[in-house]
Amino acid sequence: MDTENLVTHGRARFEYTAARRVLKEKYQGKLTFAHAGGMWIAGPELLATLSACASPTSVILDLYETPIKVSTLEFRDLVRTHWQEQMNAWLIEFEEQSKNR
Amino acid sequence: MTVGALIFAFNNEHIDYVKMANWAATNIERHLGIPTRIITDKDVAPIGQYSRKFEDLPESVTWYNGNRVDAYSLTPWDRTLVLDADYVVASDQLKYLLKIDQDFVAHKTAYDVTDVANFNELNNFGRQQMPMWWATVMMFRKSKQAQLIFETMQMIKTNWAHYRNLYGITRSTYRNDFALSIALGTVNGHTLNHADIPWKLATVTHNHKLTQIDKDEYRVDYVTPDKKSRWIKLTHDFHAMGKGHLGAIVDNPC
Repeated sequence: MDTENLVTHGRARFEYTAARRVLKEKYQGKLTFAHAGGMWIAGPELLATLSACASPTSVILDLYETPIKVSTLEFRDLVRTHWQEQMNAWLIEFEEQSKNR
Repeated sequence: MTVGALIFAFNNEHIDYVKMANWAATNIERHLGIPTRIITDKDVAPIGQYSRKFEDLPESVTWYNGNRVDAYSLTPWDRTLVLDADYVVASDQLKYLLKIDQDFVAHKTAYDVTDVANFNELNNFGRQQMPMWWATVMMFRKSKQAQLIFETMQMIKTNWAHYRNLYGITRSTYRNDFALSIALGTVNGHTLNHADIPWKLATVTHNHKLTQIDKDEYRVDYVTPDKKSRWIKLTHDFHAMGKGHLGAIVDNPC
């Protein structure tokens, strides 16, 4: 990198608005996961659906609108864990971003 | 069930796509734990020779992009990820595509990570502004459906002048994204009802400077419309449209 580029590089400011949007896109992707052949988004909506299922096994629609049979409790735990893992990772990156200049 | 990644890489005057693909293969192995096969001109004759100008390169280069339609016949695996050599794998996000009960998926929406460029025109194509599926990342499994999609892409490529006219595409250059989008529509009975990758394709455009700051961390420097220098950090997968910047990273990776 030449001097001119170094100066330009050093003067550039971190763009919080764009960075937050990129982070949101990243974690919306990372909240998406596969299980039992289906694709799901871990979050309150899926947890609420699973909470409404009383049987040990349930059939619910995945993102591709395919009916998938899942073990209700096992899947609920998986969704909850995945959701909070990704939300925690999101928070950590969000806080790190705030320290950028 | 066997799984792997396929990358097409044909070098030209300025871009060492094979080196780029080898670097991508190490990232794929590290994050996804699957083997990669790089298809070069030693495996197949490059098809579709066009001249293309990338904004971060000094002059136009020869661009071979016609072989992607052969992915189905060339893959040795039951389930295959086809990636552009300039797609940067910086996370394990793609692993989920290898576990779903779908024959074929690709991205339907791309976005500019800096939010400077309006991607509406890139996410649609032709006179009727048909929605576009991006051929940058495709996952398919050996199936009648996937075979039909690739055969249809081949048909579109062979009869490109006709399809270009039919869809009102102004650029004469054959593009895999257009062929894929037309093929998916045709195979699905001329509807837009096809499974896509359920997250957006992050894109760094040619005119933004891309550098690597750590193993899976990248910096994008850009100028806003009001001429202010800004930067953001990327820590996930993205499509690097600027081949010059990515080439420099591949030459000296972190």
